[in-house]
Amino acid sequence: MHSMESIPPSAFPACKQADDTNMSDSEHNNAEFSAQRRRVLLGMGVAGAALAGSALSCPAMAAGQAQAQVTEAPSSDKTQDRHDFHGKHQTGIVTPRPAAGMIVSFDVLASDSEELERLFRTLNKRIAFLMSGGAVKQVDEKLPPLDSGILGPVVTPDNLTITVAVGESLFDERYGLASLKPKHLIRMVGFPNDALQPELCHGDLSIQFCSNTPDTNIHALRDIVKNTPDLLLVRWKQEGTVPAQAPLKAGEPAQSARNFLGFRDGSANPDSNDGSAMDRIVWVQPGANEPAWAVAGSYQAVRIIRNLVERWDRTPLQEQQSIIGRVKTTGAPMDGQTETQVPDYAKDPEGKLTKLDAHIRLANPRTAETQRNLILRRPFNYSNGVSKNGQLEMGLLFICYQADLAQGFIAVQTRLNGEPLEEYLKPIGGGYFFTLPGVTGDQDFIGRSLLSAVKQKTTA
Amino acid sequence: MKKSPLALLLALGLLHAPLSAFAATAPLDLVGPVSDYKIYVTAEIDDLVSKTQQFTDAVKKGDLATAKKLYAPTRVHYEKIEPIAELFNDLDGAIDSRVNDHEKGVKAEDFTGFHRIEYTLFSENTTDGLGALADGLNKDVKDLQTRVAGLTFPPEKVVGGAAALLEEVAATKISGEEDRYSHTDLYDFQGNIDGAKKIVDLFRPQIEKQDKAFAAKVDKNFAAVDKILAKYKTKDGGFETYDKVKDADRKALVGPVTTLAEDLSTLRGKLGLN
Repeated sequence: MHSMESIPPSAFPACKQADDTNMSDSEHNNAEFSAQRRRVLLGMGVAGAALAGSALSCPAMAAGQAQAQVTEAPSSDKTQDRHDFHGKHQTGIVTPRPAAGMIVSFDVLASDSEELERLFRTLNKRIAFLMSGGAVKQVDEKLPPLDSGILGPVVTPDNLTITVAVGESLFDERYGLASLKPKHLIRMVGFPNDALQPELCHGDLSIQFCSNTPDTNIHALRDIVKNTPDLLLVRWKQEGTVPAQAPLKAGEPAQSARNFLGFRDGSANPDSNDGSAMDRIVWVQPGANEPAWAVAGSYQAVRIIRNLVERWDRTPLQEQQSIIGRVKTTGAPMDGQTETQVPDYAKDPEGKLTKLDAHIRLANPRTAETQRNLILRRPFNYSNGVSKNGQLEMGLLFICYQADLAQGFIAVQTRLNGEPLEEYLKPIGGGYFFTLPGVTGDQDFIGRSLLSAVKQKTTA
Repeated sequence: MKKSPLALLLALGLLHAPLSAFAATAPLDLVGPVSDYKIYVTAEIDDLVSKTQQFTDAVKKGDLATAKKLYAPTRVHYEKIEPIAELFNDLDGAIDSRVNDHEKGVKAEDFTGFHRIEYTLFSENTTDGLGALADGLNKDVKDLQTRVAGLTFPPEKVVGGAAALLEEVAATKISGEEDRYSHTDLYDFQGNIDGAKKIVDLFRPQIEKQDKAFAAKVDKNFAAVDKILAKYKTKDGGFETYDKVKDADRKALVGPVTTLAEDLSTLRGKLGLN
């Protein structure tokens, strides 16, 4: 079989772009590429080399590369990128957002609290494996294989994070958790512009999968589904993507990806590398008037927000920009030149530059008192086929994290009620969940703090 | 010179033919249960044929009430033996296809059989225009009877039938889309479950020889399903319509059904069948 290993990756800018989706270091020169390859080799052993070697090509760049074949897979040197499952917090929250995301909501079928513990221990085991990867155990060929095999015989972590959160309904009478419910966790209530479809809402448990490719997320989901037949029932699922950005030039600030309205989305997000900001905005802190077990967790708000894109595309640019409050090309605020500039609303009290009801101004008025409403957004674009009217069913899989759901998403969305953008949006699903604290080590498991809080309560 | 990925995987033993964990059940041990299963299937088809005659007679006489009453208790015999009936693709399509199997829906000319008749009886509330469909169904089930009589039952199809029946339940019965006009899904649900349980029972000695705990777990989940279905039995031995099934019970059926589907998918392998 032929190989394209000797061709430098710079020959494949389109591929590189796809790979670099979320990585802060976007400039891969040849040496870095080789180093990455060595890491892949070291990490995976000879089998890994074989697998990587078999995938080193890029159909998108096949023009002029006569030896490339139609069926050759796009290449990625990031299939071995992995996140440590263990930590104070779960991954997938302040973790840079990769190209592919998916939220799956489940009904929990566990019959009692013992079975609930079996669910969390099973999830823990599967997530620990999926996030680190490795060879799949082979069984007798007369039996169904243990793994779907869609990533091959050696599972590649591919930058996967799996984030587990619990919904308000898990705290009903079934498992004796009622008194341990996080203070702000409620069943999502429709906002005035919502058209919630019951089959796309709520759930006992949500799992967020994020990785470099949809296939890696789907592999992980199928693994979990196969391992929990009597414990979980899929309620709804939504996948999404983040468009890759061109590599940054030296000294340029990172740019946010565009949503399906064509605007950069995430410009005013708080700095996810600022630990103290994250402690304040995202993570439940000790003494926060929350159950002790919930410390280091975070509220997750998920919204499936359909965008009426045909109508949006028929809207004059100046109107689009005044509705959003940003310049479409650059993402800059109306009074600025670059995306990262902070709008100065104090100088524009009547909304002459940025309308008072512009989306970004309502969402984040940048006042001292609205600092407590900050949230960490982590959305994905979604596209789901076509409506009966022949219009495109697409929009934003909005996901955000906050230490206080009432002060966070609910307060922000309440300010947005009635915004002009609503004419182009229809939230159709989602739910509120509480992301469990992280798994601190091999002795710990996901959900342990919650389950041991119940046990303490019942023995006390 | 570079080794191909396949060669490397082979060298690492990753693509080894895995060790066989289960000794093949001696072919002679399978003769008894397989022939017992054929007896069971034959009896079910005999019932199917005679009840289909009564059902189609009522349809042709224009006796709507009787036709509606006989619809579910007739087709349940088909649901019990679906793994064998499905071996005859052409008949399965003619007898048991659903509206969504046809691009043109109820107007499709090749949409025939139980569900097409169900549509007219329950949705149009008439027997008008069903003569030819009734005759066709009668002819098709008799054809099935003849073909099954002449069939040598392949053991792997028989044992694999338990899993196939559970896949039917998981894919179409929980949602209530099997009998979308009559809402008599619970008859079919019970039929699939009974058919699967029959297979497990017939091979019980062989299964228990391989894995006793497995047999116990399967029994437990069959019992869980039966218990929920029993809540909806009516005095005449039939079932309530599917819309009466509470959400909590629908959900409670999912766990045992999905677990049975997972577990029974290993049954062929456990008995060493290909």
